[in-house]
Amino acid sequence: MQHFRNFCIIAHIDHGKSTLADRLLERTGRVTKREMVYNQILDDNPLEQERGITIKLHAIQMAHKDADGNEYCLNLIDTPGHVDFSYEVSRSLSACEGALLVVDATQGVEAQTISNLFMAIDQGLEIIPVINKIDLPSAVTTIDNVKQQVIDLIGCKEEDMILASAKAGIGIDEILDAVVKRIPPPTGDPKKPLRALIYDSIFDSYRGVIVNVRVFDGVLREKDKILFMATGQQYDVDEVGVLHMQRHRTGELSAGDVGYFTAAIRRLQDTKVGDTVTLSGNRCASAIEGFREVKPMVFSGIYPADSDDFEDLREALGKLTLNDSAITFEPESSTALGFGFRCGFLGLLHMEIVQERLEREFNQVIVTTVPNVRYRVVTTKGEELWVDNPAQLPNPTLIESLEEPFIRAQIISPTEYIGAIMKLCIDRRGVMLGQTYLSADRVDMTFELPLAEVVFDFYDKLKSNTRGYASLDYEYSDYKSGDLVRMDILLNGDQVDALSSIVHRQKAHEWGKKLCVKLKELIPRQMFEVAIQAAIGSKIIARESISAIRKNVLAKCYGGDISRKRKLLEKQKEGKKRMKQVGRVEIPQEAFLAVLSID
Amino acid sequence: MQGLYLHIPFCEKKCVYCDFYSIESTDLMEGFVGRLCTELSLRATTEKPCTSIFFGGGTPSLLSPTQLERILDRVHAGYSIAPDAECTMECNPGTVTLENLKAYRSMGINRLSFGVQSFVAEELSFLARIHSADDADKAMELARAAGFDNVNMDLMFALPPQTLASLGYSIDRMLALGPDHISAYSLIFEPGTPLYAQWKKGHVHPHAEDLDAEMYAYVMDRLGAAGYEQYEVSNFARNGRTCLHNLTYWHADPYIAVGPSAHGLLDNTRYWNHRSLAAWGAKIDAGVLPQANTEVLDRHAQLVEYAFLHMRADGLPVQAAQQRFGIDLRRALQPQLQHWIDAGMVRDTGNTLRLTRDGYTVCDDITVALLDALDRASASATT
Repeated sequence: MQHFRNFCIIAHIDHGKSTLADRLLERTGRVTKREMVYNQILDDNPLEQERGITIKLHAIQMAHKDADGNEYCLNLIDTPGHVDFSYEVSRSLSACEGALLVVDATQGVEAQTISNLFMAIDQGLEIIPVINKIDLPSAVTTIDNVKQQVIDLIGCKEEDMILASAKAGIGIDEILDAVVKRIPPPTGDPKKPLRALIYDSIFDSYRGVIVNVRVFDGVLREKDKILFMATGQQYDVDEVGVLHMQRHRTGELSAGDVGYFTAAIRRLQDTKVGDTVTLSGNRCASAIEGFREVKPMVFSGIYPADSDDFEDLREALGKLTLNDSAITFEPESSTALGFGFRCGFLGLLHMEIVQERLEREFNQVIVTTVPNVRYRVVTTKGEELWVDNPAQLPNPTLIESLEEPFIRAQIISPTEYIGAIMKLCIDRRGVMLGQTYLSADRVDMTFELPLAEVVFDFYDKLKSNTRGYASLDYEYSDYKSGDLVRMDILLNGDQVDALSSIVHRQKAHEWGKKLCVKLKELIPRQMFEVAIQAAIGSKIIARESISAIRKNVLAKCYGGDISRKRKLLEKQKEGKKRMKQVGRVEIPQEAFLAVLSID
Repeated sequence: MQGLYLHIPFCEKKCVYCDFYSIESTDLMEGFVGRLCTELSLRATTEKPCTSIFFGGGTPSLLSPTQLERILDRVHAGYSIAPDAECTMECNPGTVTLENLKAYRSMGINRLSFGVQSFVAEELSFLARIHSADDADKAMELARAAGFDNVNMDLMFALPPQTLASLGYSIDRMLALGPDHISAYSLIFEPGTPLYAQWKKGHVHPHAEDLDAEMYAYVMDRLGAAGYEQYEVSNFARNGRTCLHNLTYWHADPYIAVGPSAHGLLDNTRYWNHRSLAAWGAKIDAGVLPQANTEVLDRHAQLVEYAFLHMRADGLPVQAAQQRFGIDLRRALQPQLQHWIDAGMVRDTGNTLRLTRDGYTVCDDITVALLDALDRASASATT
């Protein structure tokens, strides 16, 4: 056990985490140069590679020999780099004894990094600061400032920091040596009952769920009868091993080890991240702390573009949950969109990923509605209701209280953008909780904000208002009551349920006006005038109208024009099929996301 | 009904808006006439009588009486022509002579179609027409003198230099000549024409939809008031003098077509000839049909064409559609049909479902909805 080191990398997106991981694998001989051709080996999902982010956790074992010739076994546990997955990050941190804190020499510390860093410090991990990208020409002017930020943040000495360039291969050996020297070996007792932490699980269609674990105490062997303590499920272990570039069967994992096992598990939901694995015949005394059920925070309707494809969509969602247990979905119906599903996601990025996977991997053509949060309603009869579809909010007269979820947002930015950030957060009903200077020109601001206000393009706005310099991290705090109302959209008097939203009363007028204007742009003219109204209850708060088509007829149609004209009309007819209909008004699918494109 | 279309692809000068195939090298006409006669022989059939013959172009009135005679001789030799067949020739008002018109009449041409377009000099020059407003008056006088009692005049509206007042002036002058038929088109900016290029360069601008719509409504109202019955989006006839040949197209009936770029429909198969005179001629010289391609219309395509063509013309015949396609239109088109009727866009005449003045204005929207409804009806019929 003395020769094991379990560590992870904490870094902001683009600060070079995956490149550094690749370099470590290459230096320890785990991958050859040839395999490196396809860069960033850990991010093996094409979506991850495109977005340059890690969505699912990965781990890999490397062998390293120090200067004295001692052999070490290093387990690198990669972590996802987005706020939607902060729970997964916390679980993978629990599997480690140390972390590399990677900071871009030209960018400095970002919000995401800080929150993950503090999580790691809280869990007692040894932190090794690495200043990356030192070979960039602009690093000359910024590096001292960045070093100072890191020193202020973790209280390390300047000589503790490793200057590196993952891209150029600078500092890699120093990093490996530091991992061995500074990160403590795992502790734990192989003789105690098995106690292992699930930090990730993936679905394999041949072997079922492959569970990635860190063993704290005891030994996990093939043919063991195991118990998942949170879900209460029991299984017989089939295969146990460690992760090299591929899975490498070893037959057992002992205290301190990081590896995987399979047990013919068909449901990903049985292997919840953070759960403790023990032996059903010889249970450990207590589960590993920190487990919680991951709950979806953002909801959206997903409908098949063609209502005939409802069953296909159900099947696709079912398959998707095999390797993404965080998605929830329930059938729902909408007068505007027909039959579809109300889906729950961890956050906005997660929602986008799911939508893209449905379209790319499962060839579904889908219409999605504007995302919203889950509201807590207490009715006048004292019942508690959770509402994740605004159209289902009870009549105001039946509502005793209406609460929405809040977040604590941490924003780190150059000081020149303080004003812009304050304005944005206040516009979004935010309250500032605190502000600290990381350095003379860098500030860390904390706000409390309603999640609903962050769900709509908050991140994009933050980025554009700070020319990309601000970074955001957030954690969920509490439900709080607010003066919220349901705003409905009516087209020629018919309510479009999929366009209903829950908004703050004071913002309703402005919001309603903007939404009506946007819909006027997106809904094509029809053969009759279309009135667009925003309403709270029976009160109309905004109105626009789309004038009727005055003329639409091609003047000429003779012998030579007929085939061409037929094809043109058929194409238009296909376009019409993709429209959704409310009353007699045809609505293009983009209109259902209109809210997202409002300035 | 079966039509015979002959495309004469020569013009003294091409008009800026025209996308029909024609060339200005009139010296090639003699060779063309010979090949056209060969194509007529290649396609000869007497299976069905032709109820109409149509010389289109181009400018067919550039044909000398001798050339026309050669062509018509070949037509009569290879095809059976109904005794009362309508026989139309398109003419440029600037190039007709009494002598030629009399000769055409004597050879059996019984309908003339003049590309008048406008009576305003500025508009005619915008279109690059070679004739004047007075030429149009003169042409009509000659036509009547030569014994033609079935004469069409083309009128254009939504021309960039045109106003409602100038359109009114042209209509006044046209009605004063008393044509039996008027084709009134809104100007189309067709890709590939000089007009289209001018537009893309920003040199000319189409009228706003509102003015275009107003002009169209004005045309329909004026011609209606003068006793012309609208029987297609752009066509109006007095005393029942509809164009039988064009109705062949709009009723999805068969037609034979000869000449470069000509399109025909026989046995539910569309064919189209090579567009260029050279490619067309080379095939004929090699003794093969000069067609570039064919398209067999399946039942769905037949239904679509039948529906959209009838709809833009004199209405969907309810009984005939039931017989040919087994579709009960009055049921299949609900609930839209009732909306259209309520909005005054469609009239149920008992025999047909027919566009009204307001319906013609949004014909393409109604047609798309119609095709969508037919799709759903045929889907539910098969399941």
